[in-house]
Amino acid sequence: MASTENLRQKIKSKRKALQASLTGSSEVSDTQGLVSAEMENGTRNENATFIEDIQDEDEQAENLKQTMRAQRRRRKAPLVDDVIEFNHEESPQDITKITRRQRSLPPLGECTPSTSFAEYSMREKMREKLKAARSKAQSALQQEEESASRYPTDLGDQSSITQFDTEVDEEYAKRPRDAESPIPPPRVRFREIASRLKPKPKEGFPSTEEAYNFFTFNFDPEPEDSNEGSEVRSHPQTLHDVDQGEEEAAEEGGEESAVSKDEEKEEEGKEEDERLVNDDEEDEDDYLFIIDQTARDFLIVKAPDYEGYNNRQQRDRKVLFIPSILSVSTSEKVPENMQPRFLEDEGIYVGEKPKVSKSNQNIIENRLLKNEEGKRWFGSDGRVIALANPIKQTKTRPPIFSPHDEVDPAIETLYRKAERSRYNSQYIAGSGEPQGHFQLDIDVAGIVFSHHPMFSREHVLEAKLAQLYDQYQLRQQKNLANLYTDKLCALRKAVNNIAEGQGVQNPMALHRLVEYKSEIRATRRMCHLEQERDRTLLKNIIKVWKDIKSLREFQKFTNTPVKLHLRRQEANRKADELSYEHEIQAEIAELLEDYQEVYDSKLEEYKIKYEEWKSWRKARKAKKKQKRVAGEQQDDDTDESLTAEELPKPDPPEPVDPSVVEEQVRETAARIYRKPGEPLLYPELSMTATVTPTNQCPRGEQLRRQDVQRCTLFAKVLFNNKEVSRTSSRTLGIDFRIHFGQIFNMQIVNWPESIKIQIFQTIGTSTTKIEVFVPIPETSILTGSAPIDEMEFSSDQRVMFDHEGVGSGVAFSFEVDGSNQLILLTSGKLACSVSWAVDENGVPLVPPVLHQNYGIQSTLKHLDAISSIGATGLTDTKKLAKWAAESRLDPNDPSNAALMQLIMSATNGEEPNKDYFRLDHLQEEFNFLSEEALNKSKRFRLLQLRNDGVTEFLNYKQIPIKDSEISEKIFQEYKNKQCDRETFDLTSHLDVHRAKVAKYLQKVRDSVTSRFLLAKHHYTLPDMVIEEAVPSISMLGVNLFRLAEPRRPLRPRRKERKKVTAQNLSDGDIKLLVNIIRAYDIPIRKSMGRPALTSRSARSVSETFPTSQPPQISAESPEWCTDQVSVHPFVEVSFQRIVRQTATLVGPNPNWNEELELPFRAPNGDYSTSSLQSVTDEVFINVFDEVVYDVLEDDRERGSGVHTRTEKHWLGFVHIPFTTIYSQSRIDGTFRINIPPVLLGYSKERNLASERGWEAVRSLSDGSYLSLFITVEPHLVPGEPVIEKFESQEDEKLLQRADKFQKEVAQKFRNRRCVTTVTDLTGKMVFVTRYIKPLFPPQELLDVLPNSSEATMELLARYVSLIPFLPDSVTFAGICDLWCTSDQFLNLLAGDEEEHAVLLCNYFLALGKKAWLVIGTAIPEGPTAYVLSYDHNQYVIWNSTTGQYYGQFDAFCSLQSVSCLVSAENVWFNVQKYETVMRINFDTSKSNLWKPFFSRSFPFPGLSSVQPDELVYQHTDKAAAVELQDKIEKILKEKIMEWRPRHPTRWNRYCTSTLRQFLPKLELSHGREGGDDHCAELQSLLGDYRISGFPIHMSFSELKPVIEAVHSTGVHNTETPLAEFALAVYIHPYPNNVLSVWIYVASLVRNR
Amino acid sequence: MAELHIIGQIVGASGFPQHSLFCKWGLHAGCAWKLLSGLREGQTQVDNPAIKEMSYWSHPVDVHYATKGLQGWPKLFLQVWHQDSFGRSELYGYGFCHIPSSPGFHQMDCVTWRPLGTWQEQLSQMFVGGGPQLKHSDLIHTGADRYRLHTVAMGKVHLQLNIILRNFDRYGVEY
Repeated sequence: MASTENLRQKIKSKRKALQASLTGSSEVSDTQGLVSAEMENGTRNENATFIEDIQDEDEQAENLKQTMRAQRRRRKAPLVDDVIEFNHEESPQDITKITRRQRSLPPLGECTPSTSFAEYSMREKMREKLKAARSKAQSALQQEEESASRYPTDLGDQSSITQFDTEVDEEYAKRPRDAESPIPPPRVRFREIASRLKPKPKEGFPSTEEAYNFFTFNFDPEPEDSNEGSEVRSHPQTLHDVDQGEEEAAEEGGEESAVSKDEEKEEEGKEEDERLVNDDEEDEDDYLFIIDQTARDFLIVKAPDYEGYNNRQQRDRKVLFIPSILSVSTSEKVPENMQPRFLEDEGIYVGEKPKVSKSNQNIIENRLLKNEEGKRWFGSDGRVIALANPIKQTKTRPPIFSPHDEVDPAIETLYRKAERSRYNSQYIAGSGEPQGHFQLDIDVAGIVFSHHPMFSREHVLEAKLAQLYDQYQLRQQKNLANLYTDKLCALRKAVNNIAEGQGVQNPMALHRLVEYKSEIRATRRMCHLEQERDRTLLKNIIKVWKDIKSLREFQKFTNTPVKLHLRRQEANRKADELSYEHEIQAEIAELLEDYQEVYDSKLEEYKIKYEEWKSWRKARKAKKKQKRVAGEQQDDDTDESLTAEELPKPDPPEPVDPSVVEEQVRETAARIYRKPGEPLLYPELSMTATVTPTNQCPRGEQLRRQDVQRCTLFAKVLFNNKEVSRTSSRTLGIDFRIHFGQIFNMQIVNWPESIKIQIFQTIGTSTTKIEVFVPIPETSILTGSAPIDEMEFSSDQRVMFDHEGVGSGVAFSFEVDGSNQLILLTSGKLACSVSWAVDENGVPLVPPVLHQNYGIQSTLKHLDAISSIGATGLTDTKKLAKWAAESRLDPNDPSNAALMQLIMSATNGEEPNKDYFRLDHLQEEFNFLSEEALNKSKRFRLLQLRNDGVTEFLNYKQIPIKDSEISEKIFQEYKNKQCDRETFDLTSHLDVHRAKVAKYLQKVRDSVTSRFLLAKHHYTLPDMVIEEAVPSISMLGVNLFRLAEPRRPLRPRRKERKKVTAQNLSDGDIKLLVNIIRAYDIPIRKSMGRPALTSRSARSVSETFPTSQPPQISAESPEWCTDQVSVHPFVEVSFQRIVRQTATLVGPNPNWNEELELPFRAPNGDYSTSSLQSVTDEVFINVFDEVVYDVLEDDRERGSGVHTRTEKHWLGFVHIPFTTIYSQSRIDGTFRINIPPVLLGYSKERNLASERGWEAVRSLSDGSYLSLFITVEPHLVPGEPVIEKFESQEDEKLLQRADKFQKEVAQKFRNRRCVTTVTDLTGKMVFVTRYIKPLFPPQELLDVLPNSSEATMELLARYVSLIPFLPDSVTFAGICDLWCTSDQFLNLLAGDEEEHAVLLCNYFLALGKKAWLVIGTAIPEGPTAYVLSYDHNQYVIWNSTTGQYYGQFDAFCSLQSVSCLVSAENVWFNVQKYETVMRINFDTSKSNLWKPFFSRSFPFPGLSSVQPDELVYQHTDKAAAVELQDKIEKILKEKIMEWRPRHPTRWNRYCTSTLRQFLPKLELSHGREGGDDHCAELQSLLGDYRISGFPIHMSFSELKPVIEAVHSTGVHNTETPLAEFALAVYIHPYPNNVLSVWIYVASLVRNR
Repeated sequence: MAELHIIGQIVGASGFPQHSLFCKWGLHAGCAWKLLSGLREGQTQVDNPAIKEMSYWSHPVDVHYATKGLQGWPKLFLQVWHQDSFGRSELYGYGFCHIPSSPGFHQMDCVTWRPLGTWQEQLSQMFVGGGPQLKHSDLIHTGADRYRLHTVAMGKVHLQLNIILRNFDRYGVEY
């Protein structure tokens, strides 16, 4: 112990030194402090007992230490040297260590070195600081504590000893375990404490006791957790008390130092162990310092920190709260003293709470209960308050894919195959949407021949018998006779009832009685009729059967299995007689009654009449008496009156003789009724007779049977004339029945137009064909429900056999002598049914609107009131019921049953509910303004009308934005038109008839345009895309070749220009180019004062046909050649009131070659094709003579000045409609100038004829000519003619043939027009020959020149030409050519070339001439129709629109080419090389020149004409013509004055009246003659006037053209100041309101 | 008396699986609307772009409406069709969009869809073309039950519309 004493002292000193300055980390020192303090405590009490133990423990510890060391060494193998040194040096210290280890834990020391150097130095500094602080605090603390702590220690000692005893023991027991298990390092422990310290201050019970406890108990080496917690609790309080504001670490240090000081002071004696420990520590520290050089030793490998699961759990348990999953009793949840309340049981609705699992619910409840005020979460029922389950029970969004595939029809989709859009309007789907397939099922069941060429005589009879029997059976089924008999009975009973029951004469009953009686009469008549028929039928059957029997006997074989049994039913003779007599008696009684009634009524009548007669006689007698009294004067009068009134004495009616009546009745009864006692006969037809075998038959019959067996038949099914399928061929049975029983399913794309079944019959090699047309089924006829119809057919083919077969179309007889011949044609019945198929879903495969088939017709139906209204009338059940009530249908009649039922249901059915529902409800409420206000808006109306293409508003530019800027006037015209449909606008038409025609035309035009609206919307690619053609190699080649061509600038050629579509044009873009080339034979001036010679003799038709006679050379006096005043012609072109003129040249044959350019303005600025086509403007090309007058007053000035006045004198005109130019795109040719028949001051002389040879030929056609080239710049694309397939009533075959014919000829001759079918006014295709039919012209015209057929022809041509010309392209803009029949034409009084030509041709035919319609091209008309007549061996070509005619070899014939000839029977197409009139042969009989349409292979089927049988001509009202004449004259005069605004217009009345007289003469001579006479006459009358003027002749249609014509002459343009005018109008009426208008305009200038 | 003037064009379509498309279009307006001028429906040409994906139609739309109420503001509905190499056309998409209600220029994309059909239909569509189509094409714009349709999204149709409104302010409609 001495050593220990020393040691202790040493340590003490050392410690003192150290404690102030250094060693280890603060924690280490801390623990050291703690440990030492603890040891102090422990050792103090246990010093004695411990000592022995120590030894053992020492050993243990030593061992432990050793092993540790060894371990350490091993680890620090590289540092072995050092370690060894240490060991040697420190071996004595080890011992001390051992001793120390007795109490402290071995790892304690070891843990210190873990602090790093950095830490170490830091801590050192800290410690220094602490020391400074401590030393300061020490002085104060020491005094305090010394006084304070002394006393409690004694107290605490007692308890603490006991406490510690146990504790220490425990400690000891635990120790070995603890040593093994890692003990939480002191550092951690400290932290725990420190952390625990923090919350503690809150709890406020600081006491000195606890503070003391803290200081004492704190030093537990391994405190129990719980103890520690409780111990430590007080700890900070003490700290607080001791030194507030000090840092914790400082405190600790402070405490420690304080404690240690205490210990030092007070318990020096006892502190050996403690010291030892301290020493130990210090040793350790020393030791650490010593090994400072070997830094590696600081590193300690530690096992990872691990807290045992249990520990953690335990610890967690302290921190965490885990609610129990056990259910909580309700009492806990509800407020105290309350029973849980279940609202649901009380009947209050409680929503279903969301489903929560029980355990979860318990957990939450438990948790909530732990909370403060946890109970408020619970409801009165003790459950957690929760909202009701928000999830709806029903599904708001139904499943998309329900297992039951019930798709809403609204969202149904349909699988459609990708299809080519090959449907167009003529196919089924009008809507453009392919609707899928349509299917027709054709069931060809079989054929039954009612007559066949191979019938034997017996067969014929058999067929007859079968037919009769069928009829009999049918009648039997209907049993009409019985029905009527029953009805009769019933009626009689009813009459009896009324007669008996009604004693009182009820007027109603009486009325009914009368009705019944009349009904009885009718029924009896019917009954008799039916009975008679039945009887005759029966008789016939028996007769035929007898015939068969006799025939069989006669020919000795049987051919047919037919056998007739007559079933007899014996009748009760007596009963029969009774009923027979009764019937007759009843009838007689009724008849008598009837007769009696008639007699009564007649008697009544007679009585009345007799009374009248009697009174009349009395009056007469009285008058006679009077007369005698009054004398003779009045005698005559009265006598006359009396004789006039004399009544015959009425005869009394004869009474009815009952015997006569009875006789009558008995007679009919004998004829009709079965005789009493006569057995009832019921024929029964059976097929039981045995047919004689073939070998037993005579030769002829054998042959026949052989033939029958060789005969095979099959049927072809043709749909729209295309073979679809055919049946298998079957052999004809011996009974001439064939069963096919084949069903053909046809899927169709096209409209069904016709279904045809052809039956082919082959006998050996020859085949015959029979056609049966099957009607297209109604849409309601579907497969399955369709009955099999028997279609009768027959063939007119003649078949004859040399055997027993009777043949067909051959006369034969049953009689031996050959009398009573019969001709039977092959006939039979085809049993077949056509129906629309039904697909697997039961949907009929029917095209949607079958009647669209008749599209064009149906649109026309709108015009036809009857067909549209009538049809709806039938469906009106009310009307039907009314009708049924009126007509008193018999409700018991089985044939009326269906109808009655319908009526019953219709009348019983409720009135249709008038209630309606409104779409878009609330619309009214939210409207800005009312519908009316919207409709009233003028702007909107204007916009809509413009959009609708109403003609008045089409292309209306810039509609004002405000209503107020639009005047009501704009609509006025439109409104007028709307309501004026019926009234006539006389101001513009001047003639009621023409107004009507205009209206009618308008209507037709409207209907036709609406029909073609769809077709107009068809655009072709070039309409949309303008594509330059890519030059091909060949084109390039040609172009290259052209480069090499010699240039010929003097011979310019016209190049093809680029075409421009009309749509991208605007005003001013289009120009009309008129190239005036030259003119021939212009009239020349005559010198004044010299009487003109009549140069032209009246020509007759024969003269105009020059082939037969030498050219006429006018006998002109040669002096004309020299003494000629020339002419200075120029040409003026006026179009749309714009005038251009050429230069003035000299001579009658000027050559201008000038190009004039005229702008073109389309109406309304609309340059669409349809609009351009309807431009009615014409190009007027007028030829004038420029006359220069010298107006020099004074001859003396002649040398110095020129003073002249030029005047232009109209010579003639050519007018060309713009439409012609537009449609032809250019017009090139020589035209005849229309020169008025009288040109005052001019004459046209063929003076040079004799000198120039070529002139002679030309001059034969009299007139002046003008060569022109007209075109439109840029090149407009004319509207394509609408190629529309029209419905036709022509035979399908004919149409096909026409199609083929046209195609054939078009291949060969591309530019020759072939006309076979044309469209009539109703839009149907009609074969052209139907238009040609002889029709008589008005008789008046024929009477004019009865003996000269030529003159009559000429007159007729003139008449026809006077019917106004109205081109189709104008009438029906953009629509194809329509042909009117002649009566329509005469009614319309307007038409184009075709109508004129057809009428003229028909007239010629009526005159007995040969005439044809010529289809060809002419200038300027373009494609046109002329008339060709053949007479006197020469062909004459008539231009029906002008009335001109040309010989075939006329060079100036306006007909340029001939492509077709049409007669009433045939159409010939020109297949000659040339097509010009002069070079072709008109002999149609040569088929190499003219290809006929109807030839031998296709004979003319005898088409009936569409023309009427006779034309009815109205007589023209002459007075109206005169009135019109005055009107026109007045208007024209006004117009002329209007056109001369700068000058006064004076009218020369004298001249006017002269002219007026002259005009009728002109009309009579057809403007041919008298011109010169007239000229002379005028000249003499108006001697000193210079007259220039001329008559204009035209047909009258409207006023506008008349005015236009007058304007174009330019007579009003005379600038002469003193000019006077004369104007006369004459209208010559022709039959049927055809008016010829003559206008004579002249200007007069007085000669000085 | 309010007026609505729609001027613009259906520019084209993009995002469709194939080229060679055309479009049928139509305008649907309520009963309060009155067409003053212009075409209410139409069809474009087929555009088969050689390069790039977008088909251009540049189809003009020029419609002038007058209205007495706001209900049934016009809608433009479209059907895009595809013309395949055999010249057959099949449906490629339905779509609709409202006409913008504010004045000025609007560039819009109208998305389209197509009924999907059953798997059999899809299969046959894959091989032989065609496809399910709406029986009632009203559904394109009325679509009350349209959600039940099983559809596939198709491409977009591009629209450029200029809207001119007149007199709407007079009836208290602001825009």
